[in-house]
Amino acid sequence: MNRENKRRKYDKGYYKKHPCLDPFTCKICGRLVVPGGAGSDHRNHCPNCLSSVHVDEKPGDRASDCHGIMEPIAVWVRKSGEWAIIHHCRICGKLSSNRIAADDNPMKLMAIVMRPYGSETISRINVRNMTASMETQG
Amino acid sequence: MSDNDKIEKKYHCRFCGWTPAENEPDGDWEHCPNCLASVHEADEEGYECGGRLLPVSIWVKPDDSWNIIQRCSLCGELTMTPMSEDDSPIKLLSLASNPLSIPPFPIEKMEEMTAMMGGQGDVGGYYDEQRE
Repeated sequence: MNRENKRRKYDKGYYKKHPCLDPFTCKICGRLVVPGGAGSDHRNHCPNCLSSVHVDEKPGDRASDCHGIMEPIAVWVRKSGEWAIIHHCRICGKLSSNRIAADDNPMKLMAIVMRPYGSETISRINVRNMTASMETQG
Repeated sequence: MSDNDKIEKKYHCRFCGWTPAENEPDGDWEHCPNCLASVHEADEEGYECGGRLLPVSIWVKPDDSWNIIQRCSLCGELTMTPMSEDDSPIKLLSLASNPLSIPPFPIEKMEEMTAMMGGQGDVGGYYDEQRE
C-alpha cells in the first residue's frame, strides 16, 4: 500500500490508468461524496449539485492549474442514447462533456433539461405566430 | 457579371445547402441559421480541423440569452456560439427536447428517486401555483 501511495504521488499519469477511490467533500455544495454508487470507478462530478472542479485537461492527467468550478450548463444525448452533462469552467471557460452517473440527482438533471422551456427567448407568442403562418401557407 | 458576383457572395451553408432568399439581406453568421452547424476551422491548439460542428445542446444563461453548444464530428471538441435572431426556432426547440425524449430514469419516479438518494429539490413550484 505504501508503494501505491508513492506511485500516486510521483507518477504523473497515475490517474489516467487508475481510478481515484478517495472520498471527497464537494467544494460547491459541501456534501461528502464516496466513490461507490456511481456505476463507474471514474467519478467526475458531485452527484448532488452536478458541479465539478477543473483539474484535468485530458481525462485523468491532473494537468490543469485552473482549478475553477465547472458548472453544469447543459445536457446532451450521445449517439448511444445516453445522457451527458456539459460542464463550463467559470474561470477559463473550458467546456467538457461527461457521462451522467447512476446516482446523479435526477431532479437537478431534469432542471437543466427543462431550462429552455421556461425561457422567454422563444416565447409562446412567437410560436403561435409561427404556427399560424405555417398553417395559412400550407 | 456583377450579378453573378453578388450571388456568389451570399452565405451558403456547406452542410444543408441553405442560402438566404433573394429578397432577404445577407448576414455574416457564425453558424448556419437553418441547421445551426458550422465548420470547425481550427482547434484549441490552432491546428486546422475542418470537421463539422454539429449542434448538440443549448445553454440558457442566467440573463435568459441562449448559447448553442456545438461538437466537432471529427475531433470531438466542444464550442459555443451565441444564438442569433435568424436561427430556426423549430431546430432550436428540437435540440432542447432531445434529452427529454429519452430520459435515463422514469420521469414519474423522479421525486421518489431524488428523496431516496437524499438529494435536494422539489418539483412543487408549478403545481403550487396552479392550486392557488
